[in-house]
Parts: sequence; structure tokens; C-alpha cells
Amino acid sequence: MTARSVSWTDAASVAQLLARASSPRRPAVHTFGAAGGVALARPIPQVAPALAPAAAPVAAAVPRSITVPPPARLKSQFPAPRLIQTSDNPSDCLDALLAWTLDHQRCTGAFIADDNGLTLAAHGISEAHVSLVGPLLSALVSVRMIPGIDATAGALWLGDNMMSWVETRNERGGFCLGTVGSEPLSSRAFEQLKDALEITVRRL
Amino acid sequence: MIDTKILDLAVQDLRNVLRDGLVATDIWERTAGLSLAGYNQQPVAVALFTRITTELESSLTDSNFPPLARYYLLDMEGNHTVAVVNHGALLQGILVDNKRANLGILISVAIPRMVEAVARAQAR
Repeated sequence: MTARSVSWTDAASVAQLLARASSPRRPAVHTFGAAGGVALARPIPQVAPALAPAAAPVAAAVPRSITVPPPARLKSQFPAPRLIQTSDNPSDCLDALLAWTLDHQRCTGAFIADDNGLTLAAHGISEAHVSLVGPLLSALVSVRMIPGIDATAGALWLGDNMMSWVETRNERGGFCLGTVGSEPLSSRAFEQLKDALEITVRRL
Repeated sequence: MIDTKILDLAVQDLRNVLRDGLVATDIWERTAGLSLAGYNQQPVAVALFTRITTELESSLTDSNFPPLARYYLLDMEGNHTVAVVNHGALLQGILVDNKRANLGILISVAIPRMVEAVARAQAR
């Protein structure tokens, strides 16, 4: 062993190295403390504004004088009423589902498609965009082979907006309800969409 | 034995589903060419699609292709689409205006409902 090597049995050398690596720590490093000793040896990055939420536990301990005005309530923040289908006509049911989605979810467009990507009803999105549901759902069949993975809901960035979708099946096949908007839907909204889609698909 | 009342109800259901997109439909026995139920019925189309379907099925068989399953589609001039549905002993033609009827609803909702209804009618 040469003089430049660090022996893991040489406690003095290890302590010296650790001290040197950890000496420039700033308070924010406590956030990474739970990650283990490896994190301590990393150079500490400048905390960018985008990382501010990650430091929330530390910030929460200090009272803040700045109050952020609450954002205007958007339609998805209201509790959406459960969809009630009153017609036995499948076309009426699909129209009602589409209208309910547009009224109660934060989206600019919505669609209902089968698992081949064929549009059953749509508003604010082209059939060409809806057709991508076909290969998307086909790809997810193999994803669902992984135990514990449901993969019946998700969001896909289309380039200029986000498509969120849920899927359900009946004895005739799979059906998909999707929305397009500037951001993905919340998990609560996904649950509402799935519930509404299941109610509708039972009548198709 | 075929329950024609169920067929009539199935045709009514098809009209409800496709609304004004449905131009005409017939359900007929493929051997006799006898129409059992329909809307805006087209006897000439019954004869035509019986012949086309027979030719198609024999061509598929002769070519060692898989046999015809539930339906085939024809896209025709004038925004018309014909779906010919294979119910076994019965055939059905569905003529739709594809500017008014949604093909997704036709394929994923209307045809599966019709297949189930005709199967119930034939089971009687």
C-alpha cells in the first residue's frame, strides 16, 4: 500500500477525509441527511428556486411573513358531482359523459375511445390525437403483466398539452376516457373519471 | 326458429344508437335471401351482399386465409359506409352516413349489441 492510498482500517485518514468532504456543508444539507453518508460526500448544489418545495420541512419550522394569495378556484377544485346516467341509449350516455367531463374537470378537450383508438365521442381534440390511444393501451397490456401494476390511468405529454386518460373494460372490450389540458389531472380527478367511465360503459 | 320480435327490437335499438346516421339496415337469411327485419329495407342490397359475402368467404377459404369473423366494412362514395355483419345463418347490412354516424360507435357499440341481440333471437 502506498502513502497516497487510504486504508479503510486507518481511522485517522478516514476521519480526515470525511471532515474535508463535509466541511462546506450548508444548513440545506440536513434535508439530505436521511439519504445516508453518500450524500454527504457529494458537492452541495446551489439551491434553485424549483427545489424550494424539497426543503419544505426545514422551511416549515420558520414562520414566514410572506402570504401567498390563494389561486382562483378552478372547476376541478370543486367537488364534482357523481355522474348519473338517466338514458339507456348508448349515444346519450356517451354524450352525457363527455359533457360531465368538460363541465367538471380541468381540461380544454375530452374524448371517449375504444381500445383500438376509434373515437366514440370527442370535443376539443382531433381524432388523429385520439387514435394514439390504440397503441398506448396496447403497450400497457405488457406493462400490466408486472405484478402490482394497474396502469389503467395515466398522462402523456403530447408536445403542447397533456393528455390524461383512464381505461375500463366490459365484456365487449376496453374503453378509454381522456382529457387534454395544460397539465395532468389530479389523482382525485382520475378517480372521478374512472368512476364515471365505469358507470357509462355498463350501459354500452 | 328465429324470434323476429327480438330482431325488430334490435333494429329499433340500432336506430337509437346511430340516430340519423343510419340510412338503412336489413337482417336476412343468407340461404333464402328473405329479409326478417329492417329499416328502410333494400331488397337489391340483400341480393348483392349475399353474393359478395359468399364470394368473399369462399375466396378466403380458397386462399387459406382465416374465415370471416363478425363483420366487414365497405367505404363507398357519397359519405356512405356499409357494414355487413355475419350472424351465421343470418346476414345483416348496415348502411350509414359516415358524416353523421360515428364509426367508433358503429364498431364498438352498435355491432356488438346487434351481434348479441341476433344471437338471442336465434337461440329462441
